[in-house]
Amino acid sequence: MNTGERGIVMKSSTNFLRFSFFHRFCHFLTIVSFFGLVLTGIPLAFRSYGWARWLYELMGGYPTAGFIHRICAIITLFAAFLHFINLFYNISVKKQKGFFWGPKSLLIQPRDIFDIIGDLKWFLGIGKRPDFDKWIYWEKFEYLSLMWGTLVMALTGLILWFPVQFTKIIPTSVASIIDLPSIALIIHRYEAILAAGFIFTIHFFHTHLLPEKMPVDEAIFTGKITEEEFKHERLAQYKRLESQHKLDELKVPPPSLFVSFITRLFAVPILITGLVVVAFMLTALLVWAI
Amino acid sequence: MVYRSKKSLINKSLSGSKRLCFSAFLGVCTVAALALSTVLYAGDNGPCLECHTKPDKLKVSEKAKIDPITGEIKVASMLVDEATFKTTAHGGSDFFCVDCHQELDGADLTDGHKPNLKPVDCITFCHDDPAEDYLQSSHVKLMKEHNKDVPTCKDCHFGLTFHDSVTGEKSPMYVPMGTNALHRKLTIEACSFCHQEYFDGYRNNAHGQVTSLGYTNEDVPVCFDCHGKHKILNSSDPESKVGKERILETCGKCHANANASFVKHIEHPQIKNLSYYNALLNAIKNGRSDPENLKKVLKNPQTILCIVFVMYMGILGFTFSSFGLHSLLCWLAAIRDEYRRKGHSDEEQH
Repeated sequence: MNTGERGIVMKSSTNFLRFSFFHRFCHFLTIVSFFGLVLTGIPLAFRSYGWARWLYELMGGYPTAGFIHRICAIITLFAAFLHFINLFYNISVKKQKGFFWGPKSLLIQPRDIFDIIGDLKWFLGIGKRPDFDKWIYWEKFEYLSLMWGTLVMALTGLILWFPVQFTKIIPTSVASIIDLPSIALIIHRYEAILAAGFIFTIHFFHTHLLPEKMPVDEAIFTGKITEEEFKHERLAQYKRLESQHKLDELKVPPPSLFVSFITRLFAVPILITGLVVVAFMLTALLVWAI
Repeated sequence: MVYRSKKSLINKSLSGSKRLCFSAFLGVCTVAALALSTVLYAGDNGPCLECHTKPDKLKVSEKAKIDPITGEIKVASMLVDEATFKTTAHGGSDFFCVDCHQELDGADLTDGHKPNLKPVDCITFCHDDPAEDYLQSSHVKLMKEHNKDVPTCKDCHFGLTFHDSVTGEKSPMYVPMGTNALHRKLTIEACSFCHQEYFDGYRNNAHGQVTSLGYTNEDVPVCFDCHGKHKILNSSDPESKVGKERILETCGKCHANANASFVKHIEHPQIKNLSYYNALLNAIKNGRSDPENLKKVLKNPQTILCIVFVMYMGILGFTFSSFGLHSLLCWLAAIRDEYRRKGHSDEEQH
């Protein structure tokens, strides 16, 4: 489809570091645990469909799938723990700035509103693609929804894991109106469908399966991005770093063919697995709608 | 005397269409003319199987069976698969057709036996132990007080003999045990024929979602684990396993240290039952004139579950439609840009 452009991109020898090893490691942990959680959990949400039973048996059935689910949940919590420890360390010990405000922040900034308007114009063909900085607005949204989603899933998941202990802390008069385990189950189930559906469609299509990235954006695995990609995706950041003379600090040698190969070997099957799960969920939606 | 009263009770339950259904079911013994004149005695299945394995030897090989609850007409075969029969609970070597079909003991089979036999009485001579519990259940109470058609032995223990179960599965020998996974699975379906609303709710809950994936071993509860096996009582009954007095003990069997708040759990959430939404909307509409009703509906723990469910449906719909559109547009714009760039570079080359 775009072998011509990829050809040029691949030839480029100027590479920059976009993700540190720590962030790549956290993303890897999240991938592994997320897939474990989805594959063992989604059959329960789609329990009346044949594929769900097949998938559940494939994952070991009851109670094995449940054990895998809990182990993966602990890995997810561990990744979240690492993330916040790292954030805390960078802010309070290393005294780094720009986590809450400015171009480096993952929180929503005023410029994001202009970026959204600019992007919409670009979609409709009445403007150029806006120059993004370090984080594009939808990446911020994905990050924030991951944080929110992890919090909701962890809390409801723990209630379902320890229902007796959680109900103990609420008085009986309240429990007869607010049934904590049932509410937790409903939230856990539909938040899971939301998360799985979002990651396997929106996240995949916004990052890995973009026409210019197909089949996978290697940056999150190798950490490296070519100069051309950098300028195309995040021109504002490129120009900002250039003017601050910080660009040279980020220059790295290009990823070796071996690393690139391993990345694809890992990422492509995982992407396909995610798309297959989406296809399963869509068939369920179609069956339900018909 | 005791036995007699039980018998009449069961006969009463088998009135009307039920009687027809069971007589048809047991009309197995409508035998065609045999080549040999035979008299049936206990201790030999040979003469029965002689005809009941061959459709051309039977006067009637199929009978219509009317479901007492749904009114559905099913066709019951009068044929017996001997191999399957041998694997069933009553298929042992010391067990014979006439033990259950007692009317035929000593019958003259020269011209075939009489059609439409009496329904088999399970409890008078054999299973009086579970029957004792069953006769105290809310099901029997309903039958006595309101003359309702209620499940009798064979409605739950279907497939005990050679007949197919309602769900089409053959029930093997040790199945009618509460410990057997297949029996546990079949009973969920048996209860669901009447208690559809509770069945749907159960399927929506943590226990039911596991059993609907096919796992029905003892560590995940099916209906009778909580509601009791033969002595199934309405939760308002003080003796009920799910009533106020005994619920802690029932839940505590699996959930150690179950507490008073824990047992308030809604085991049958009605999040997909429209009547709960209608009740909520009506209560809100008439909130001014009937505040008591509104209060009652809002205090129903099902209401909050319904609200959470609808909220999540909204979030799902909004997220996927807005971001789906965004992804699609993003894709199209990227392809358009690339197309233009290529076209531009092609022009330059020319």
